Amino acid sequence: MRKTEKIFEVKDFPYPHVIVKDFLDESTLDLVIDALAGLEYDFKESDLFSYWASIELTDIDHPAINILRDDLGDEVWRKKVAKAFGSKSLSSIDMAAYVYGLGDFLLPHDDQVEERIIAYSLHLTPEITEEMGGSLQIFDVDNNNSKLIDSIIPEYNSLIMFEVSKHSWHQVGEILQDIQRLTVTGWYHG
Amino acid sequence: MADINFYYLESATLSNLNRIFSSADIPFIRLSKFLNEAPKSVEPKLSSEEKIGYYHRKIGNALLEDFWQSSDFNVFLRKATGLKPRFRESNHISYSPGDYSLLHMDESEPSRLLVVYDLTKEWKHEWGGYDLYTSPDKDPLVCNRDFGSLMIVKLAPGDLSCTRYVSLKSQFSAHIDCITYDLD
Repeated sequence: MRKTEKIFEVKDFPYPHVIVKDFLDESTLDLVIDALAGLEYDFKESDLFSYWASIELTDIDHPAINILRDDLGDEVWRKKVAKAFGSKSLSSIDMAAYVYGLGDFLLPHDDQVEERIIAYSLHLTPEITEEMGGSLQIFDVDNNNSKLIDSIIPEYNSLIMFEVSKHSWHQVGEILQDIQRLTVTGWYHG
Repeated sequence: MADINFYYLESATLSNLNRIFSSADIPFIRLSKFLNEAPKSVEPKLSSEEKIGYYHRKIGNALLEDFWQSSDFNVFLRKATGLKPRFRESNHISYSPGDYSLLHMDESEPSRLLVVYDLTKEWKHEWGGYDLYTSPDKDPLVCNRDFGSLMIVKLAPGDLSCTRYVSLKSQFSAHIDCITYDLD
């Protein structure tokens, strides 16, 4: 179950984004992490990224994953997300788990694909620090000039959301230590 | 002016290179120790070049700018590839830790011949920084860094190239002279 029901102020710069801390309660968190640890992950690599990805989590029936899918995507929460961002109503989510190990990265991109309204990422790596790498780095892009605005450490049990647009440039910094950066990531669709 | 390793100027070698180049899935040859004497120091004036989502690197005049336009090299290129390349531009490009280029940066490019002369010293494969070429329905071509090697690759419209992200753990920068020749 969700531990937090409130979405505090969405920051507008460089594009609308928000961090919801302590998103899941402890017992759900344990169950979800156990369930994710039991999944198979395929190594994915391109010029843009290097990471391990699960299958689409909306395609599997697992008690803990079902709870997580509700916590992230039930109607009550979708309405809160839409209200917080001032977006049109959100009809559905997709979700997959990703593991970034030593040397993995995701270079700058804006996530723009049709019908993606809000991107989210639930972070599930205990005691992660800046030195370990894996921060979510967000950019302000004006024409072709870009400036790194913030480097958000993916704190355990924090849910980061941002509005997808031509401005929503971001990247995942390279993992610099021998850790496994685990996230559940996806998009709210219109 | 740089001198081409005499081995690569022998007619038997050129004939072999032409055959290998023409038969490759993505036409390509790689020639180690291409010059009799590789430039010893790499200190060109470079400026940052960034287009987010495309590339992040440093760029300046090619170290061997004159050589890449010389008749000696042009004759060699014609014999080795069987093509009639026309010089377009040459640059020295440096990829430092965190730098990269992405495949779609040249998606509107016409047919071209790319020549890359590698000036990267003391490189480790795990630092990335290798060159990648893709062509629809063909296996991608990966070219690792190798000091003193010359790589020649023919790319058709729709074929793409990039230099892989360089790890923040890299202790050095990758340095290349990158030359583009137009093709008919």
